[in-house]
Amino acid sequence: MSAPSTAVSDPAEVRARLLKRAQQAVEAALAAGADQAEAFTSSSEQDSVGLEKGDLQLARSQSAEALGLRVFSGARMGFGSTNQFGGDALTDLATEAVALARMAPEDPAQGLETCSALGSHGELVSADLWNEPTAGIVRRAGDLLELLRACDPRISLDSGSVGASRSSIAVASSAGAASAESDAALSYSLFGMAIDGDDVGGFDYTSDSTRKLAGFDESLALGVQRFGEGVLGNLGAGASETYRGPVLFRPEAFVELFLSPLIGAINAKAVQRGRSALASKLGESIGVDWLQLLDDPADLGLAGACAFDREGVPARPTPVVTDGRLKTFLHNAYTARVEGRQSTGHASGGTRSVPGIGCHGLCMAPGSGGTEDDLLRQLDRGLLVGRFSGSVDPVSGDFSGVAKSARWVAGGQIRRPVGETLLAGNAFELLGHLIAAGSTAERIGGSMRIPSVLVDQLSVTAG
Amino acid sequence: MSNASSPTGDPTDLLRAALAGSAGGFTELRYHRKRQRVLGVEQGRLDTSQSTEHTGVAVRVLEQGTWGFASTPELEVNAIRRAMDRARSAARASSAVRRTRIEALPPTGLATGRFEGPGVQESLDRGVEELLDLVLGLERSTAARSKSLVSSSCAYSEIFEEKGIVTSDGAGAWLRQVRPELRVLAVAGKDGEIQRAHRAIGVSGGWDCLFRSGPAEDLGEQAAKLAVDLLAAGYPEGGRKRVLLSPELVGLLTHEAIGHTVEADFVMAGSVAAGKLGQRVASELVTLCDSGASEYAEGACGTLSVDDEGVPTQRTTVIREGILESYLHNRESAAHFEVEPTGNARAWEFTDEPLIRMRNTYIAPGESSFDELLGGIEDGYLLEGAANGQADSNGEFMFGTQAAYRVQNGKRGKLLRGVNLSGQAFDVLSAVDGVGSEFKWDLGSGHCGKGQPAKVDAGGPWVRTEVLLGGRQ
Repeated sequence: MSAPSTAVSDPAEVRARLLKRAQQAVEAALAAGADQAEAFTSSSEQDSVGLEKGDLQLARSQSAEALGLRVFSGARMGFGSTNQFGGDALTDLATEAVALARMAPEDPAQGLETCSALGSHGELVSADLWNEPTAGIVRRAGDLLELLRACDPRISLDSGSVGASRSSIAVASSAGAASAESDAALSYSLFGMAIDGDDVGGFDYTSDSTRKLAGFDESLALGVQRFGEGVLGNLGAGASETYRGPVLFRPEAFVELFLSPLIGAINAKAVQRGRSALASKLGESIGVDWLQLLDDPADLGLAGACAFDREGVPARPTPVVTDGRLKTFLHNAYTARVEGRQSTGHASGGTRSVPGIGCHGLCMAPGSGGTEDDLLRQLDRGLLVGRFSGSVDPVSGDFSGVAKSARWVAGGQIRRPVGETLLAGNAFELLGHLIAAGSTAERIGGSMRIPSVLVDQLSVTAG
Repeated sequence: MSNASSPTGDPTDLLRAALAGSAGGFTELRYHRKRQRVLGVEQGRLDTSQSTEHTGVAVRVLEQGTWGFASTPELEVNAIRRAMDRARSAARASSAVRRTRIEALPPTGLATGRFEGPGVQESLDRGVEELLDLVLGLERSTAARSKSLVSSSCAYSEIFEEKGIVTSDGAGAWLRQVRPELRVLAVAGKDGEIQRAHRAIGVSGGWDCLFRSGPAEDLGEQAAKLAVDLLAAGYPEGGRKRVLLSPELVGLLTHEAIGHTVEADFVMAGSVAAGKLGQRVASELVTLCDSGASEYAEGACGTLSVDDEGVPTQRTTVIREGILESYLHNRESAAHFEVEPTGNARAWEFTDEPLIRMRNTYIAPGESSFDELLGGIEDGYLLEGAANGQADSNGEFMFGTQAAYRVQNGKRGKLLRGVNLSGQAFDVLSAVDGVGSEFKWDLGSGHCGKGQPAKVDAGGPWVRTEVLLGGRQ
């Protein structure tokens, strides 16, 4: 293979090289006896700085390439993946994948979806970010540490990172796929707590990922401020109260408890295999009539923005829930073939496994609940939950776990942090008990846009 | 997968050649080959049949008082030397930002030679046909267990690793290890209600070890029965309760509630275990260890002879009869605390740097029988079946259970649906008033996450204590 270069590569050249390699892998598979084949390949370069214990810990300079090859022998499928490309590596990979396919039992739904060649896409890349030097990452890591130190001495950063990545992917298949795309991202993460004498507060974290240099420093400063407020707010946690009733969820907690099981339940494979509680709900109401969910791969402000999915199928904005009614299940080529329909362009995954199914960038429409202060007034008395640590059964929707970064609210105002407070309920049932959503949808980790949501009928158990 | 990516013979030869004549400070090279075979079947359809292999060399250097890291997939001397240059450049570029410089790592006993885990050759020789027969047969037999089952699935995963670890201060170890695991999921449905249950096993070793407790079909039978039984089960009542924890839940307790808080990097950031060495943190019935060996019973999945810094692993007694005795260390943290490293530095792949991770974490067996432990609960719950778990910096932990049984007057009552339980780590260990005599490793499937995954194991005997249950109100 070619030597990884310390010089920044040209994204168009990388895409062309990856696409050529993917096509070579497909040809190798066909030569090895496959009836159909699909190759997905990726390349990434990353400069990052790891932070630990409030200090810089380790600087990394990484580059990696890998390829996943899916082959079909009639209605039998096999898959292999490698990061070695010298000598006969692709031929060896193809031979083994074909051997795996020939041993597999037949499945009539196995096979590729006829796909158009979408060509080479570079729209996600901003040139300044693609060419950002290592020194810029180190400088930002230093800025982040200084901002943290200036905040409050009680803040303890357990771990964090600042990094820039340049990545390209390509997919080619014997069914016509021939597409490549490049992306670049600048990201940071902070994870830690506050310590005040013997009082160790609970964890909090924040992260963001953007495609542009402009505004990143401001995002980082805001992230540090929010992280500091979060961990300091966790100090002095006391007892909660046991009750059944309303809880206000900040966006991260709402995603964890309600949207994650929803995404799992609208996965067409879960529906087809009898493990979706929403299997019979297509077109029907699954929640309050103001609930609107859109999966938007065209939103360049979200990390999952893309022109095509893992199988090379065009990715398009997809209404998932409109006016509380379930509009679609999410399909890749396999589940689409089971039903004799077209893929919805939701094949997900990378080079190391067969395509799965997932959202690109889920957006929940803001509600009319106003600001967090307005929502707190509407809650009046009860729990505000920032994060959730627990189990959510994606099949039944049952959840049970600990409220994190939680605050007790009385008289419509935050009164104190609380700990040892457990939440229980059923996500699918409670979608019908949403009271209000905030008027602003926040970017969550750079990958979703979700507002805070007030939900009724939670079981809250205080320790 | 072909062996084209593997150097012929001892990979430390390649690393030593790359290191020869190297200038600069401390350098650590790790050849890391990871092959994974995965087969997954659901409702008779083979969804996954794959073999993946990723190989390369990780380079970590200590330069100008800080760490630099780079990796290369190219298995030849010049490429490794280029990666060494990149790692040094990264360290030098970031050195000025680091406040607390790392001095040279103190000398310590480092491993040399070859270390081969059990079952490696057996795994390399086993064909895919045998794996296919296993997953297809198990899923088929599970699906036939009950007409109430609406779905069943089975997956087999096997990770084979080969490593060579060479450091500029003397480590030179060649390791090979295999970790198979098998899981089965059953989903039952009735009148619009859906419940699921899973059973999973995972070991470091061969199949004789993987199936040491019984044939694969037993897993399907157990999962199917539990999923069906849960359809008619109610929910436990939430609140602070006396509980009897199964060995796998004891494993989760030791791993989540205690293990993470005593990882020295976390201690240095201020975990609840900071400053508590020598203090009582648990009942005197509790002795808690983390070991690179498979103590008491074979096959623990976190078993390893040498860690990824080249340090021979050892058994580390974290809590001895209730007193906090040690943290878990890599070479850097051991130097900070002026103790010997404990062999806990682990990296997931060649693209990852070693972090302080657990291996096999457990509570040592005590003297009580199961009946004695159960008989001592007047009103509480017996909990079993591990789900996920997490720990917080303040010692608050949570983990999920698949099933609960009401216990009244020392008798096991009806089955209830699983719940999450929580508590303060040291409070829960201090409340332990009974430790069983039978030991079991039971957390060998799945992964621990800390930025990177890691294969670990945990277990112990049945343990009686008090926790907060998250039931319905």
